[in-house]
Amino acid sequence: MNIKELNSKKTPIVTIDKSLEKFKKQPLFQDKVDKANEILRNVGLPKKKKHYS
Amino acid sequence: MKLPKYPLKAEKSLMVFEFTSEGPKGKIKKLVKYSETNLKDLYNLAFGDKDNVTGEINDSTISNNGDSDMVLATVVATVYAFTDKYPDSWVFATGSTKARTRLYRIGISKYLLEIKRDFQVFGLKDEEWEPFEKDVVYEAFLVKRK
Repeated sequence: MNIKELNSKKTPIVTIDKSLEKFKKQPLFQDKVDKANEILRNVGLPKKKKHYS
Repeated sequence: MKLPKYPLKAEKSLMVFEFTSEGPKGKIKKLVKYSETNLKDLYNLAFGDKDNVTGEINDSTISNNGDSDMVLATVVATVYAFTDKYPDSWVFATGSTKARTRLYRIGISKYLLEIKRDFQVFGLKDEEWEPFEKDVVYEAFLVKRK
């Protein structure tokens, strides 16, 4: 892939940083995760319809 | 979406990203995290400011660094990176306050046509998911890569 193709992609170039590994195990934003779980318990996923665009 | 974005760092599983917002308030590190939920392949997206001194992450501070469009574009870039790696995943997001949820809704609405080229986009209204539409107030958002 050349530079022009890279620049036109929507997926960003990401630099891997091992120092961020520690945040993976930390319970960050736990209140939002709890809220998400509560919503999802009540609502679930979108119902499948054929005409989603 | 060819909007200006901040450079991104991440750990190798692409569940945690970091970037630095730059503006009148100086440099503010931001952390984006994709967390597993109780539903398989469904992840909660959240992001907040990283305290330069303590390293603590806070999603309720209002940094007002004059770059909200660029911050949102950078967060959207992480959604592309994450769903590239986990193509079957759903990504759930909501704001820590109603005002923030509104800000995210405005951001999605602004680029809805482009986002919908790559994602199915849903909004939560009255305890039901519906295809996202502009000018509708939603409590939360859900996207899946096409």
